[in-house]
Amino acid sequence: MSRPATIRLFRYLSLLGILTLGAVLLWPAREAPAVAGAAPVRSPSGERKHVLRITAGQNYLPGSVPQGIGQPLQGLTRVVADFEARFPDTKVEVIAVPQEREFLVTQLSGGSAPDIVAVNVEDVWVDVQKEWYVPLDRYLEAPNPFVVAQGDPAAPGTRQWWDMFRYQAITRGKAAPDGGNYCVSLDMVETGIFYNRTFFVQHGLRPPDTWGEFLTLLRRVQELGKVPLLANVDSLSDWGTDLLFDQLYYDLLPGIDVKLDDPVRAAYLQGYLDSDELSFLHRKGFFTRRDPRYVELWRRLGELRPFLTKDVNALDLTREFVTQQAVMIWNGSWMVYRLHADRQLGFEWGVFYLPPLTPADSVYARGVPMCVIGGVGSQLEVTSSAVSDTDPALPFAERIARSERLQRVVSLLQFICLPENTARIVNEYPAFIPNIVGVPVHPDLQPFVEILKRRYTTTKWVFSFDLRFTDILKRTLHLYLTGDIGLEEFLHWQEANVTTATANFLQRKTIDLTPLERAWVRLAPVRAGYRDLPPEVQP
Amino acid sequence: MKPPAAGRTRLSFAASCHLLLLPSVLLLLLFIYLPVMWAFLKSLYEFEVGSKARFVGLANYLEYLVIDPPTWPSVLNMALLTLVGVGVRLTFPLIVAKLIHSLPFERTRYLYRLAFLIPIVVPGVAIQLLWSRMIYADYGLINEVLRTCGLGAWTHSWLNDPRTALTALMFFGFPFAGGFEVLIYYAGLSAIPESVNEAAALEGCTGVGKFLRIDVPLVLSQLKLIFVLTVIGGLQGFEGIFVLTQGGPGFRTMVPGLWMYYNAFAFQRMGYACAIGVLLFVVILGLTLLNLRYFRSAEEMQGGTS
Repeated sequence: MSRPATIRLFRYLSLLGILTLGAVLLWPAREAPAVAGAAPVRSPSGERKHVLRITAGQNYLPGSVPQGIGQPLQGLTRVVADFEARFPDTKVEVIAVPQEREFLVTQLSGGSAPDIVAVNVEDVWVDVQKEWYVPLDRYLEAPNPFVVAQGDPAAPGTRQWWDMFRYQAITRGKAAPDGGNYCVSLDMVETGIFYNRTFFVQHGLRPPDTWGEFLTLLRRVQELGKVPLLANVDSLSDWGTDLLFDQLYYDLLPGIDVKLDDPVRAAYLQGYLDSDELSFLHRKGFFTRRDPRYVELWRRLGELRPFLTKDVNALDLTREFVTQQAVMIWNGSWMVYRLHADRQLGFEWGVFYLPPLTPADSVYARGVPMCVIGGVGSQLEVTSSAVSDTDPALPFAERIARSERLQRVVSLLQFICLPENTARIVNEYPAFIPNIVGVPVHPDLQPFVEILKRRYTTTKWVFSFDLRFTDILKRTLHLYLTGDIGLEEFLHWQEANVTTATANFLQRKTIDLTPLERAWVRLAPVRAGYRDLPPEVQP
Repeated sequence: MKPPAAGRTRLSFAASCHLLLLPSVLLLLLFIYLPVMWAFLKSLYEFEVGSKARFVGLANYLEYLVIDPPTWPSVLNMALLTLVGVGVRLTFPLIVAKLIHSLPFERTRYLYRLAFLIPIVVPGVAIQLLWSRMIYADYGLINEVLRTCGLGAWTHSWLNDPRTALTALMFFGFPFAGGFEVLIYYAGLSAIPESVNEAAALEGCTGVGKFLRIDVPLVLSQLKLIFVLTVIGGLQGFEGIFVLTQGGPGFRTMVPGLWMYYNAFAFQRMGYACAIGVLLFVVILGLTLLNLRYFRSAEEMQGGTS
């Protein structure tokens, strides 16, 4: 062999060697063996009649490791396996999908969405008129067949599926503005202020009873050289806004709640102001710069500004809490799992709830106890894909009535709601409070159970209108909380935001405000005793 | 390729060219011109995916230009980002290209060109994510380095602080010597005839003076190309901002393109998003035509073309 040919051969062999070495080094690691007895998450459908596709959201996705701690989840896989054993003609595929709304909208408009999706039902509300989702009321109001089959006439679910849900007000509060229920709520999440109990004891501090005490506590912690409170814009625009709104408006409800006549709502929602009412009231001058309570709401929220961490936009603030740079963090019950699992956590922790405003704190406050702001964690909705076995030319209601596939999808949800099944899913790790009667609650979540006994909030602003409203609220609140814009400029943005959102809402949903106007007139004598209303409605 | 002289053959050759161009033109019509016209039509409607459209005339344009609060702050951000983008892309890569071009050995020049070229193959989103990790609020590389150096007080939430977010975005891509621009300028510099360089040397025009008086005018075509591309990218591009800040904090880094995206795919206001898109199209088209009309290269000036 000539010398150039030898060199070429050597080069080829070297290249081959490098490629082989690279392939060996980059070869994917073998996956961990599945938990014994658990079915695989995805498997070929075989020849089964129904192949249902469901998403479980991030909280219960089989194979995922919640918050990066512990073993991969398998609870839902086991429940699904039991369901398939009962219905041999059905295959259930639990799939992971992106959480982005863009994905969902394109899948739904193309008719290729999973049969069951797990998204915040508020994202569903804005699309219900497009017939992308199946209303579940007729099933919720009927017996759960799996409970009936168990033969206990006293068991919740024998009379109607609805009875199986522990937190009725919150669960039914998820009804869309059209009155229909589009989700099944497996669990609850509640917020609380987690605090470093060891630090509190060392410095003679205690959880506050009033807003004023809370501010004093925050100031004291700051003087001790720590970040007093961790809370991001998402939580402040959602929980903070609604809790303070409730504090300032709750005593006005008898004179401004223009939908009190609805017996179902009155029984469960205790005067909740829905989107129709908020839009109506805004047209009367509420939630503007001329509404003293509205101004007060943002002023009080702004009082937290000096005590928050510098980066209020951070997605995860827990590191600062567990490393004891900060003493309190306003977070959801899901944080219990992280604290519970942290073997190196060097302190005791506790939870208290945001304390109420008293008349000493605000001239508009009446000292009513703080309400519940939390809500459902996992919300499972049935999409129009579930009726894909029917003629698309038929009216949606008829497709729903005829679809065999939909029956199977609903059966799956009913099966999941059996206490023994929900327990396997929700209690696989301590983060959420089961919403099914008869499912035990993890002891570490007990403080949140106590909080959930309170009355439900007056409204939920970020879920009332459209996503544009929420987006602008969060963006401008961020600027306000970082001191980049003042109260006046923030109010200017916010008033314009509410005006645009309510106008869009009324136009899109073609709401008839006449009945609300009639109720408004009827309630005039009640409002006669109120003071500090917007000038337009001041008696 | 030169067409044959004979008239009939020329006609046949032209027909063949037209025929060969036809698929491309059809695809261009289908995927570029038709959507633009469709967007213009839809901008006159209020509609969202899955719903019936409602004719609203110019209401979407009116809302965007007069009512919608984020409009003018986002236009200002876009203008600032474009201005800075044009500034850095017309200078830094040109200086780098000149430095490489001035190296005495071809092999070294080749290695440098290669070094600046390789980053082009890395996806933009990957670089943006890497950059975001570098300047991430608490645990980013920059802040960790500052802490290590005992400058913990200087650590900063660069992208989340309303006062620094836009500036932090402007620094994205530092030191601004993108491979594409460097190669374009390098090609321009290489195309300068050796006789011109020799004449300049004989006249004693060297160093910075030669660069400013000889090189820059002769790479004006390249500068113009980069200018146009940067302006178009600055006006319509938003991917980097979407990845790094999502237009926040507040609207401090919002740009019209991103607001269009949010309205289309997050808020489902397709008609409104189309109106923003049409306005952007008109602005970009206008600026490009202005550029073509008034910013002529040395060769064009010599040739008397406009």
